[in-house]
Amino acid sequence: MSPVHYVALSVILFMIGGVGVLVRRNAIVVFMCVELMLNACNLAFVAFARVHDNLDGQVIAFFVMVVAAAEVVVGLAILMAIYRARRSASVDDASLLKY
Amino acid sequence: MTGTAAPAALAAHATLAASAPGAISAPPIEYSQLGPMLVVFGAAIVGVLVEAFAPRPARRGTQLALSLGGLAAAFVWTVVIAASRQVFANGSPGHTAIGGAVGVDRPTLFIQGTIVVLAFISVLLIGDTRFSPFVAQAAAPPGATAEQEGLAAGAMHTEIFPLTLFAVGGMMLFPAANDLLTMFVALEVLSLPLYLLCGLARRRRLLSHEAAMKYFLLGAFSSAFFLFGIAMLYGFSGSVSLAAIASTAASNTSNSTLLFAGIALTGLGLLFKIGAVPFHSWKPDVYQGAPTPVTALMASCTVVSAFGALLRVFYVAFGNLTWDWRPALWVIAVLTMVVGAVIAITQTDVKRLLAYSSIAHAGFVLTGVLAVSTAGLSSALFYLVAYGFTTVGAFAVITLVRDPGGEADHLSRWAGLGRRSPVVAGIFAFFLLAFAGIPLTSGFTGKFAVFQAAIASGETALVIVGVLSSAIAAFFYVRVIVLMFFSDPVPDGPEVVLPNVFSGTAVGVGAAVTLLLGIAPQPVLSLASHAANQLFVG
Amino acid sequence: MTGSAQALAAQATLSATGALKLSWLLLAFPLFGAAVLLLGGRRTDRWGHLLGVAMPVAAFVYGVIAFFTLLGESDRSRDLHLYSWIPVARFQVSVGLLTDQLSICFVLLITGVGSLIIIYSVGYLWHDADRRRFFGYMNLFVAAMLLLVLADNYLVLYVGWEGVGLASYLLIGFWQFKNSAAVAAKKAFVVNRVGDAGLSLAIMLMFAEFGTMSFTGVFRGVGSAGSGVTLALGLLLLLGACGKSAQVPLQSWLLDAMEGPTPVSALIHAATMVTAGVYLLVRSNPILALAPGARLAVAVVGTITLLVGGIIASAKDDIKKSLAGSTMSQIGYMTLGAGLGPAGYVFAIALLLSHGFYKAGLFLGAGSVMHGMNDEVNMRRYGGLSNVLPVTYVTFGLAYLAISGIPPFSGFFAKDPIIEADFGQHGAAGKVAGVCALIGAGITAFYMTRMMFMTWYGRRRWEEHAASGEPHETAEPLAGGSVQGAHGSAEEYHPHESPPVMTGPMVVLAIGSVGAGAFLIINHRLQKFLAPVVGAPPNTHGFFTAPGIAATALAVAGIALGWWIYGRVPVPATAPAGGPLTVAARKDLYGDALNESLLMRPGQWLTRLSVYFDNRDIDGLVNTIAAAVGGTSGRLRRMQTGFVRSYALSMLAGAAVLVALLLAVRL
Repeated sequence: MSPVHYVALSVILFMIGGVGVLVRRNAIVVFMCVELMLNACNLAFVAFARVHDNLDGQVIAFFVMVVAAAEVVVGLAILMAIYRARRSASVDDASLLKY
Repeated sequence: MTGTAAPAALAAHATLAASAPGAISAPPIEYSQLGPMLVVFGAAIVGVLVEAFAPRPARRGTQLALSLGGLAAAFVWTVVIAASRQVFANGSPGHTAIGGAVGVDRPTLFIQGTIVVLAFISVLLIGDTRFSPFVAQAAAPPGATAEQEGLAAGAMHTEIFPLTLFAVGGMMLFPAANDLLTMFVALEVLSLPLYLLCGLARRRRLLSHEAAMKYFLLGAFSSAFFLFGIAMLYGFSGSVSLAAIASTAASNTSNSTLLFAGIALTGLGLLFKIGAVPFHSWKPDVYQGAPTPVTALMASCTVVSAFGALLRVFYVAFGNLTWDWRPALWVIAVLTMVVGAVIAITQTDVKRLLAYSSIAHAGFVLTGVLAVSTAGLSSALFYLVAYGFTTVGAFAVITLVRDPGGEADHLSRWAGLGRRSPVVAGIFAFFLLAFAGIPLTSGFTGKFAVFQAAIASGETALVIVGVLSSAIAAFFYVRVIVLMFFSDPVPDGPEVVLPNVFSGTAVGVGAAVTLLLGIAPQPVLSLASHAANQLFVG
Repeated sequence: MTGSAQALAAQATLSATGALKLSWLLLAFPLFGAAVLLLGGRRTDRWGHLLGVAMPVAAFVYGVIAFFTLLGESDRSRDLHLYSWIPVARFQVSVGLLTDQLSICFVLLITGVGSLIIIYSVGYLWHDADRRRFFGYMNLFVAAMLLLVLADNYLVLYVGWEGVGLASYLLIGFWQFKNSAAVAAKKAFVVNRVGDAGLSLAIMLMFAEFGTMSFTGVFRGVGSAGSGVTLALGLLLLLGACGKSAQVPLQSWLLDAMEGPTPVSALIHAATMVTAGVYLLVRSNPILALAPGARLAVAVVGTITLLVGGIIASAKDDIKKSLAGSTMSQIGYMTLGAGLGPAGYVFAIALLLSHGFYKAGLFLGAGSVMHGMNDEVNMRRYGGLSNVLPVTYVTFGLAYLAISGIPPFSGFFAKDPIIEADFGQHGAAGKVAGVCALIGAGITAFYMTRMMFMTWYGRRRWEEHAASGEPHETAEPLAGGSVQGAHGSAEEYHPHESPPVMTGPMVVLAIGSVGAGAFLIINHRLQKFLAPVVGAPPNTHGFFTAPGIAATALAVAGIALGWWIYGRVPVPATAPAGGPLTVAARKDLYGDALNESLLMRPGQWLTRLSVYFDNRDIDGLVNTIAAAVGGTSGRLRRMQTGFVRSYALSMLAGAAVLVALLLAVRL
């Protein structure tokens, strides 16, 4: 399989993640979809590292993982606070701020 | 802590960039040139230690002193670097530090200096505990007994200070980042603390939580796009260094799909942070829901930082592709100016109004960016300074106008404020006039400079749109002024508290700079054009 | 007609040297005073008034030094370049101060009369808790007014112009607790915006046409400009002058502006700010010289206003409003003078300067009476006060003789040359204006005599009033008197002479009222002095020419008529019904109605339009002008649904469009 296929897969994963953000209501799932998008990026980086035959892409993937972990910490804290206040994790319920 | 990761990340990454695969040698780390950022991050880490070891009563004072001291030291250091003959020897445009990961050049130093000063003022607002806008215990759900106990005990989350410093450090790194990975890390370092800060309001906590969640989800969504854009550009050029991307783009004309998808997606990430239409929808909600000092920080420092990064990426990495990205950015600039100004007209909440005004202003700065010239760069820099100080001052005034339940955000409550408190209303009116771009305020000078630069680059149509939308925008600013001075006061209207040292300094500095840049803008204009004389280092 | 333009061009403006290099001090003194008093807070309460007096006096001292320095110079015009404002490409605006013959006249008037009035205020506002703020505003006003007259380009002049407007707004509304004061301040603000729009349009037109806003640049440019441009410039400047100087049709605000403290009325609404319009017209004489149409319009406006003001002044029972009408009328004379071209400029300025003395004297006299009469302004409650307030009586009387145009007092020398110059014009217009000006002279003498008799002679109506126990219906409940006025109880008046700190300035102003006109006109002193700026008028004849004698005769007739109505028989304590003209005059000759139909109605139509465009959300803060955009805005903001997923969708769509746009450009 040529690396191009991996890139194509990463685009598909990214799309799935993006659509997931749009269609899912549960904040946790929405957030997981974002993580899926990040992982799609990682796949692309690794695939391109192979294409260009340098290591940068692979190292970048590690950085992204660290950043994603930090994001999870912050994100879950916020979602937790919301859930405790509203007893609901639906992103559609949180729509007081508008217009 | 994510902040600690950043410098280390740079070092590790630079190793790879600088040497062949396999052979790992330590990159040079120019500590003296990275000083300002290191000081801010260092102060943040010390702040975390203070949280861990200092007794509760001593924390607030220690943290405040630490934050203000750190920012002041960072500013002094920035000035020292900018004045250093060593860095800018023989007309050199500057250096790249840590093996090319961080640029140290005049535009960046100008932006960093601006961020540090604005952050200093914002920290003053954050540290004003008289009517602390921050929650006593973020973990306690609204209405719970724990919340009441926390309020009664006068508790305060002093973690706010290190969080702010991490965000400010990220903001300083963001425009300095000379490769896209560093930029991504910086983006996250600045964003993550802000997500948390948004959710810490003491009153109207559901709104605050909602703001934090919206900002977080959309921010994460946009940074995923940004990262995917980086991946595309990496696929295109085999490197994430801005200079390498620029040189590949100049030589390689195949694979343009990767390149343009990369430009679009990285651009999206940056435009999201500045709040350009159609990536603006988080801004009003977040600005309204967040505690006002945090809004002040976001509206001033984050915007300045994001514009710095945008300028660097589009001028350095995509500098050869001006004709390709200009039309797209043109459309976005027009949309941003018009939509921001038009929607602002029917706003009824002061903070929301300023959020839309901030969107419109982002459009005006984009006009300067679109000039793609040193004049454009310097005018955008000047505009950012002018807008940053005015907006910090305006939000500081908002913290002074209070109802029993918190700040009086609704515009109807501001009716007749000019009768009750002419000085505060007068200063706020002055800020609004500056937003509207009335002569003798910094807003006029800034608008004049960006429009002038855009016309010089042949963007006349853009300037016409800009002038029209500033005319629209002027209406809603004037509407608020009329409301304050020519309406009868509402019965049991909001109380205007006397500013103390903290908020007084914020309002005073904001007003003074706004006035000064209006009547005698020459020194700052020439500083900005001096800074922009040589573009970013590649 | 181009003589004056050439004269000005010939007079090369030199850089300031010597003492004139310090002309920024003129601004610095009062600005410093304002800053300390307004920012210093209550800490400065104890000594604030002293600083408030010291700063204008210091400026006056410098003004005198500058005046004598200027006398010693051969060409007498000095430009002090301060700094460049925004030196971006073609847009070069340097901020500078121009000290020349014309501006130094105003500097002396503003700082001299201003200092006297501010000294007077120390006594007048002795009991006011907010005195410090008042002196801060007054210093702010003096600084802005000096900036206005010292500016060397129209943009800086405009800054001063708006500055005096702001100070005037703040001072009219100084007694915020009075609703009428707040409303009056608002009205003055709104009407002045109309005039300011004219001036700002004129400045934009100048910049568009000549690429500069400096006096020298613009005056050089008008020589080669088309007649349409000069006419437009002239008319726009006239509109600006009308707003600031309370000329028809923008006159109505001045009467309401009397809600402010009396020293404010004396300084701002009589001696200085309202004359800024005349200054603007005279300063712009090279433009007017090339726009005969605009000059005619100026003369017409002046003529109408001098009659309207006089008629209003004759019908008002409120002493300050009567004086305000008189101010309008006198400025009408000045405007008429400015409309006559080089034949009239110098006399307009002469009248302006001497009017500054006698009208300030009259206002301060009125203030002194009010001070002694519990802030009563209704002249029908006065009467027989001449024994009670002797100093005020004498100074007021001298100013009265001056304004009535009795030789050899100021008004005679200052006003008659304008009337004479009217008759000296070619064509019927000049004759008509001259006849109107003559009638105006008669009216002036009449209403001033009316004021004299109602205030100083006759029965002591205030004693009868107190005895009868009638409800007190004062028009102006002030700091002390607000409570009594509110519940309408009978009130005792204890008139008394004012303290020396008030009478002193009145005496000085009275001396000015007596001598200023003669000093300026005899031997053509002012004429020779101002000639380099405004050009020389054609040779004037002596003073006892036909128009001069007619004017004096009419003044005497006016005095006689005044005595016939108000001196011969007792003045009724309540106003009689009066004829239709009296009724109309009491209603300011329907000036408000006029403004309403000219300014407010179109605004209301716009408001209705905005209702049409669904603006209900903005809580009745119905906004007139945003109407058209408002509807769009209301719909657009609905797109901000509050759902985070819809935001994400718009971002995704935006990303798709962005990618498509970028790829499309490449294809």
